[in-house]
Amino acid sequence: MTARAMLPRFFFLSLVLCCAALVRVAIGPVGTDEGVRLVMGVPSADIAQLRVLSVVSAALVGAALGLSGLALQVLMRNPLASPFVLGISSGAGFGVACVLVLGALGVFSSRIFFGEAIGAILGAACTLGIVARLGRTTDGEDTTALLLAGVILGSMFSAGTMLLEHLVPHGLRGDLLSWMAGRLPEIPNRAQLATLAVVTVLAWIVLARVSKALDVSMLSDDEARSSGVALHALRRKLFWTGGVLAGVAVAYAGPIGFVGLVGPHIARRLLGPHHGLLVPGSALAGALLLVSADAVRQVFDLGSGRLPVGVVTALAGGPAFLWLLRRGSGR
Amino acid sequence: MTDPLLDATQLSMRYGATVALHPIDLSVGVGEFVAIVGVNGCGKSTLLRALAEVLPAAGKSGAVRLHGASYSSRDAARLRAFVPQRPELAAEFTARAVVGLGRFASTPSTDAVERALHAVGLHGKGDRLVTTLSGGERQRVALARALAQLDGAERPILLLDEPFAGIDPAEVARVVTALRAVAARGAVLCSLHDPGLARCIAHRALVLREGRVVADGPAANILVPTVLTKAYGHAMEESKSWIIPSLLPEPAPFR
Repeated sequence: MTARAMLPRFFFLSLVLCCAALVRVAIGPVGTDEGVRLVMGVPSADIAQLRVLSVVSAALVGAALGLSGLALQVLMRNPLASPFVLGISSGAGFGVACVLVLGALGVFSSRIFFGEAIGAILGAACTLGIVARLGRTTDGEDTTALLLAGVILGSMFSAGTMLLEHLVPHGLRGDLLSWMAGRLPEIPNRAQLATLAVVTVLAWIVLARVSKALDVSMLSDDEARSSGVALHALRRKLFWTGGVLAGVAVAYAGPIGFVGLVGPHIARRLLGPHHGLLVPGSALAGALLLVSADAVRQVFDLGSGRLPVGVVTALAGGPAFLWLLRRGSGR
Repeated sequence: MTDPLLDATQLSMRYGATVALHPIDLSVGVGEFVAIVGVNGCGKSTLLRALAEVLPAAGKSGAVRLHGASYSSRDAARLRAFVPQRPELAAEFTARAVVGLGRFASTPSTDAVERALHAVGLHGKGDRLVTTLSGGERQRVALARALAQLDGAERPILLLDEPFAGIDPAEVARVVTALRAVAARGAVLCSLHDPGLARCIAHRALVLREGRVVADGPAANILVPTVLTKAYGHAMEESKSWIIPSLLPEPAPFR
């Protein structure tokens, strides 16, 4: 099917995202005489405003992760690549934890989002660079080496983050722990949200402008180069776009797994392989996944508050990853 | 020979301590169909990749000029196309979509895509996913992509690394007709494992051995048992029992 023929599917995806957003705004805990109950209905203006902000923050983080996943999958020429699977989220998390510890030690006067974002981006870029180096062979990328390197580095950075957790004061430790599980702020900070929005939109524009070159880069390197694609410059763009998006998303909401992996796959199945539609499609699918996960987590209260959204995405995304792995190996 | 379409000066390549290609000077003019032959690992693919300017910068030296000038990679893509020995595809595109990718550096053209699919005999399979095609059909899709890339070029240069791998004889004849049409307007250089087929379709032959050109001249004079015996390090002989596809007459060369 041509890209034009896929447009109705694109609008369908947008419509489903709008429905999920409406459900998320309508659903939420309300305090009553018998305790906190889950209520679905039209909320008051104040509550609706807060929930709309929550939906916007979930949609932006999801879109950033979806775009990051797509950029990394094209960069690595591997559909199993994603910020979480390749350990980039953990690396970014370690970067944020370093900034938090430095803040607690008085190196920074206060916790600032930009410090966390820069720590996250540096952590993401370092991890991506090491994984890409370890996964490269003379014949190109070795999928197994790539994934193993990502898993091992991810574990190492997670362990490093846990180590740093013991160095921060008790008050900050709880914050760090819930952030490590992947959490969307209950009351989003508008300045942070605006930064996330600007970075996501800029990355979207960067990827959309090279969408035709991304299509050609699906050929072998020699064919793509001889077709006129400046492959080195394209890959540098993908590297930084994927790393910065993952870094900013992790700085804002912690390492949320599987959205970056599954989002582009949903877009590919619905919209086909052309990046002209895949770029906005991956952003939409990522946003849909995280807004839906945020709505689902409202339903579960295990007595100690709502689940972090990262737990929901991991529980749903893990089986999806295994299915993709099985499908990829032709079984 | 009139003004050269493709000019290579002191082209060489080394991978670490291994020299894949010793310095080579090569000039190809309008209307030439050049076959590159030699044993496995003699440098055929490296020479073609060097001429296509797709080799990694490390270890590479020399210069390639097209139509007497140097071009950016995007501008060069309108004049020169390359098909590697093993074309790859990391996405689920249809054959028509892959052929369309050849128009990246030029104006998109549905007609050019259809002409290219027709030239390689895949006009009825344009909507099939490439992953569902046979190896030979995939090879023809890659050739069609290169033909679409050069559609509209006044004097195209086509570089092909083992273009007939996996293609059945009847389709080889069809593809040769398409390549001869390109060579009539510009130039075609292709590596071939079969010196007999090379002698049938090429005007000129280059014989490589250990990264050096050991013979260069008219295919009828070069691709003979005495020269090939030295090049392959194995006794070669003429045979009348070898069957090759009958080919259409050559089109008139470009004027």
